[in-house]
Amino acid sequence: MKQKLDVVFSGVGGQGVVLLSDIFCEAAMIEDFDVAKAEIHGMAQRGGSIVAYTRIGNKVETPLIETGKADVVVGFEVLETTRTLPMLKECGTVIVNMKLIPPNSLPAGVKLKSTEELLKLLKTKARVHEVDGPGIAHRLGNMLVVNTILLGALSALPEVPLKVESFQQAIANRLKRDYISLNLKAFQLGRESVQNNRDKNEMTYITR
Amino acid sequence: MTSKINVDKPGSYALLNGDEATARGAIEANIKVAAAYPGTPSTEILETLAVVAKDLGIYVEWSLNEIIATEVAIGASMTGVRALTSMKHVGSNVASDAIMTLAYTGIEGGLVIVICDDPALHSSQNEQDTRYFAVHAKLPLLDAGNPQEALDMARKAYEISEKLRLPIILRLTTRVAHGKARVKLGELQRFERKAEFDKDISKWVMVPANASRQHRVLESKLLEAKNEAETSPFNIVEDNSSDIGIIGSGVGYYYARSLLDTSKISWLKLGFVHPFPSELVKTFASKVKKLIVLEELRPYIEENIARLKIDFIGKTELGLEEIGEFSPDKIRTALAKLHLTTNPEKPQQLNLPPRPPGLCPGCTHRALYYTLNMIHKSVYCDSNKCVGCGTCEYACSYNKEKVYNTSKSRIRVVRQNQIQNIAITCQVCQDPACVAACPRDALSQSPITGNIIVDKNQCNGCGWCIEACQYGALNMHPTTHKPIVCDGCGGNPRCVALCPQGALSLRGKSEDKIVAGDIGCYTLGALPPVKSLQTCLCMGGGISQAAGMIHAGVKDKVFAVIGDSTFFHGGMPGLLNIVYNQANVCVIIMDNSIVAMTGHQPTPGSGKTAMGQNAKIINIESLVRALGIEKVITVDPYDIKATTKALRTTINYEGPSVIIAKRPCPLLAPRDIPLKIKDQCRGCRVCTEVFGCPAISQTGNRAEIDATLCNGCGVCEKVCPFSAIVREEQ
Repeated sequence: MKQKLDVVFSGVGGQGVVLLSDIFCEAAMIEDFDVAKAEIHGMAQRGGSIVAYTRIGNKVETPLIETGKADVVVGFEVLETTRTLPMLKECGTVIVNMKLIPPNSLPAGVKLKSTEELLKLLKTKARVHEVDGPGIAHRLGNMLVVNTILLGALSALPEVPLKVESFQQAIANRLKRDYISLNLKAFQLGRESVQNNRDKNEMTYITR
Repeated sequence: MTSKINVDKPGSYALLNGDEATARGAIEANIKVAAAYPGTPSTEILETLAVVAKDLGIYVEWSLNEIIATEVAIGASMTGVRALTSMKHVGSNVASDAIMTLAYTGIEGGLVIVICDDPALHSSQNEQDTRYFAVHAKLPLLDAGNPQEALDMARKAYEISEKLRLPIILRLTTRVAHGKARVKLGELQRFERKAEFDKDISKWVMVPANASRQHRVLESKLLEAKNEAETSPFNIVEDNSSDIGIIGSGVGYYYARSLLDTSKISWLKLGFVHPFPSELVKTFASKVKKLIVLEELRPYIEENIARLKIDFIGKTELGLEEIGEFSPDKIRTALAKLHLTTNPEKPQQLNLPPRPPGLCPGCTHRALYYTLNMIHKSVYCDSNKCVGCGTCEYACSYNKEKVYNTSKSRIRVVRQNQIQNIAITCQVCQDPACVAACPRDALSQSPITGNIIVDKNQCNGCGWCIEACQYGALNMHPTTHKPIVCDGCGGNPRCVALCPQGALSLRGKSEDKIVAGDIGCYTLGALPPVKSLQTCLCMGGGISQAAGMIHAGVKDKVFAVIGDSTFFHGGMPGLLNIVYNQANVCVIIMDNSIVAMTGHQPTPGSGKTAMGQNAKIINIESLVRALGIEKVITVDPYDIKATTKALRTTINYEGPSVIIAKRPCPLLAPRDIPLKIKDQCRGCRVCTEVFGCPAISQTGNRAEIDATLCNGCGVCEKVCPFSAIVREEQ
């Protein structure tokens, strides 16, 4: 019997949400999990909010996840991560990339919350792993590897029932050869960023 | 190249979405020809086929529109080979002329018409339900509920099609087409068929005598199709000897299964839904006490069950709407009404700002819309609201000179009579008297905004321009002794923003124009902050809507904006029609030589075919001239000056005219050096709220450019009224 896991990936159009959720599913398929995922292409992708639902398990009937039932949220952007919060179960886990992209125009009466305020909101419900994606990517010299860093972070969570080798295999299967070694490095750094901070993050959750 | 889609490993698994799975099913069924026009969520079917077309010896094309694609597929089928066409739901409206009579002629080689519905309108203009189209066209329809079904149905549909001698409609919905799942691959059927056409005119020439006979043939084929449906492997009964039975189709069926203990309910999954398998449903219904029907969009199954005089619990009792798509939460709420589940959790209310889709950074359409929006705008004062408080004067002097001194303001409040006040600024006249009056040629009118520019070196402060202006819009600066005049603050004047009575607004000639839109990325120009167009109906509809308005007698200048691919798809007849019937419409063709919205498929202007072969590049300017348009101007939309000139020329032109705004989609163009904000930024919000580039945001009193988003188009540099944006030095 395979362990069930529902993960929601969220971000802004163009950040690589769909590709990353694909790689996660492929990693699960390597270990013979059944998988289903849902995403939207087309008009919504032009700089709008993007959500990809992924479900792995013994037998998955549908790709969409119920409100309040997702185990993990992987957010590419702080505001979009917070938007997906209702999908997450009580005491679920959030991996959030520390980048805020303000929406282009704000409707009257709605104020943009700061990163700190949004993180506070996240911590009311979830264990939050803050990942400095832009910082790590900058150190690696390529801003496009942020999503692989987040995948590394996801792989380090105790609730994810997949082997690290399966993730590495899926990355190698999916990406162009020239970029594999860079992305595997990014994956490892993302993984370490969660492993190193796991205890600290558990504490912030308990003492909220 | 062997990609996962044509791998010959029956029984192996692949992560495929519904579109890819459909393509795989067609490959397994050994199709020879596929044609389509891109449309979300159907696009990836043909895209997937195109990648492997050469390896498999399949011919794949992007056609000009859905009816042409359908006719190409029909032609192939008539020679005996298997063929496919795919389209989004609204595409079937375009193709329906061919499909309706195709039902009469029937087919030779198996023919599958894949139609993808878009419940919840993720990227569409309506929510039509293709099951009713199948009823209307009298064609069998298979309804897929997940990617595995899409693959199995696509493969099997060819067998059914050839058995019945009818085309089969395969229906997907967005969640199936764009949902990915682990899909089990089947065997690649391989057989050789020679393309030969049997010149049997009684079958292929649909004159009344033949067609009325073929109609009878169709009816008998439908009876046979009904028998197929009754025993189809896609109509699956799972009898668990329960009192409760659920009949479902599409995603709703699977949502229900994931929410309930499946062993405690009897299930009927309908996949072959037209003709309706009434005997199967009757038998199933007779074994249960309570029959529940779950189907997205319209109540097709419900209506058919009602016709059988069987009681059921449907949308009305379950509180499910015909609008939008199902979600697990909706199905849970519905089933909770029957006490089969508990209610779903109420989502937290977070009150976060929405992030609607918008035009990308560097979008050529934004540049054009900005220019279109900005033609001759001026600050307008409603004297019924103005109380003469003078706030505008302070706002202006502070914004322009960082002092609160009303004598340095470009706007003046005047008392009209005892109870009425009005604020006066430059009215951006067509032939400004001030410019004509200047003896030293120091004044000129900006070709972009229509604002008056004073050359301070030429001007000697004689004041003739101030005398000449009939509005009293020019004033003498108290210290420099040169005239000062409103420049509209680049489209975001502080006086308008700060007027406590809301008496001021930025209006002008642009309010006297109507812009009819069309379908593509550029439709996003209707949304704030761009707000340029006012209609979007159907492919190519904008040109003729605009013409209708003209013939009805609107006084405003009417524009129609249309993308290059939409123009090829449905705009060409509309353009010829305005030439023939002389409608004074200015059509702006936004030519990026690609179908950008659906993910950059080639058009006749791109010089490539779906299979990557070189093609003749169609020159839109020559095409438009050949259609009889005499006034054609081609501009680069990044060149705001030239575009403004072209717009002003066409505004004054009597008769149909065309502006071709030509520049490749920035997503495909190499990125230029990003721009940056200099210290003289005043935080006027022109770049963020009037121009509206998503790479620019405002924090506090200063704009900021996100260098990772900026693609370096440089249009903002021209837009900034304070010259505060420059290209970053390497």
